[in-house]
Amino acid sequence: MRLNASSPWIPLALSGDIPNGTVIPATLCSKPIAIWRSQSGQVNANGNRCPHRGMRLSHGFVRGETLSCIYHGWRFGQDGACQHIPAHPDVVPPASINCGPLQVAEQDGVIWVAEDQVESQPPRLDGLKPLRSLVFCAEPEAILTASGGTEVDLGVEATLAGTRICLLLQGQAPAETLCLVLVDQATSPKACAEISRALEGIRRRAEGETEKRGAA
Amino acid sequence: MIDAWYPVGLISGLTREGRETLLMEQPITVRAGKTGKPEVVTADGRSLPIVERFGHVWTSLGTPEKDLFTIPEADHPERVLVDVGVVRVKCSPLRAVENFLDIAHFPFVHTDILGAEPHTEVEKYDVKIREEEDEVWATKVKFFQPQAAKSAEEGITTEYMYRVPSPTSSVLYKTCPPRPGEWDVICLFVQPLTETLCDVWPWMALFDEDTSMTDLIHFQQLIFLQDRSILENQIPARLPLDPGMETPTRADLTSIAYRRWLKQHGYTYGAELVAQ
Repeated sequence: MRLNASSPWIPLALSGDIPNGTVIPATLCSKPIAIWRSQSGQVNANGNRCPHRGMRLSHGFVRGETLSCIYHGWRFGQDGACQHIPAHPDVVPPASINCGPLQVAEQDGVIWVAEDQVESQPPRLDGLKPLRSLVFCAEPEAILTASGGTEVDLGVEATLAGTRICLLLQGQAPAETLCLVLVDQATSPKACAEISRALEGIRRRAEGETEKRGAA
Repeated sequence: MIDAWYPVGLISGLTREGRETLLMEQPITVRAGKTGKPEVVTADGRSLPIVERFGHVWTSLGTPEKDLFTIPEADHPERVLVDVGVVRVKCSPLRAVENFLDIAHFPFVHTDILGAEPHTEVEKYDVKIREEEDEVWATKVKFFQPQAAKSAEEGITTEYMYRVPSPTSSVLYKTCPPRPGEWDVICLFVQPLTETLCDVWPWMALFDEDTSMTDLIHFQQLIFLQDRSILENQIPARLPLDPGMETPTRADLTSIAYRRWLKQHGYTYGAELVAQ
């Protein structure tokens, strides 16, 4: 299988999933992380745990170019460093306090995250545009089968409603796969809607297959 | 921890059939006996010791060395005693207590009620483990609050004292707006169901003649449900007692003392120990 390709870049969201000033939870190689977009549009990723009391940072809030923890308002910059502790407004936080920043790249309408420092760019997705993201309660292999497509790096290529589509697949937990859907750049809005509906069929088949295997 | 007293239900909620629940993973039934007195029995029919106090039935799976703590201030006849009820929380019982001891979260979790930006600073306060009583105490805690209590109409600086008299109970004494010089008493009694699941029984003894019982209960439930959204999302679920996993500051002195006191006593049910 090539579903887990050798690229250090993992596709974890579509650009449209994270509007300016918002944060979402995600899973990077079974590790919980938070991905957020600053007010000016810059995407950032870090561990999903405030170093103070372990609160999930994906419950936090974005102000300006910083992410704050919802528990005590500890504020983190794009480099992951703690900039401000509201309980002690006059104290400069020590540089050692940070929330585990990760490498992130936004390219072709997809947000990519890497666990370690990498020099390379994420793979290109030429001729495709993002459609939607969805989570399947199924293994990537079951989605490949249900789609009737062929395996490519990081996912599946298939034809749906007469259009070329690409599903970027990331296993997040046993029987839970994040699926980022991209379609041929020339796809009309009407065809996009049709593809979106047809995806529900793939989801039902893939989840049915996974359930059967689970029961066996 | 097996010898400590734990709350397992409201006295006012007792029935003959009883309520099946858990205490540190042991199935127990809490019910009114033939005479109406509360009884707590284990699945294998063992009767557990009982104390009726602060509106709740308390029991222990072991042999408590001392009586359940008292709150003399709560005995004042003019106080309104509020049985708030129960809130189930998917968290360590120790995390539930620690959150109750924390004031720095008020502006962010109880926004515009117990705190509001820009009033986020936590001033220096005193913390002590009182050896004689074997309790954790924090005193001279002050914080600006937009609406400190149901009876408060405008923002005031509220003074607090916090007390941990048993591993999963905490008592908060707080400035009482209608009665300067007296303290409102707000308690958090936590029943450990498992190490990462608890039933929380808030209880209050207040000076408040004007607010209806329903409104008092709603106010406390609102506050605690805001806390629950935090408590169910801390990683790890169990309270780390060893330094390293979390980063305390001066505002967390009460929590530091609480963790130290738990560790000294080996109260590790619901705790995460890295270095064992």
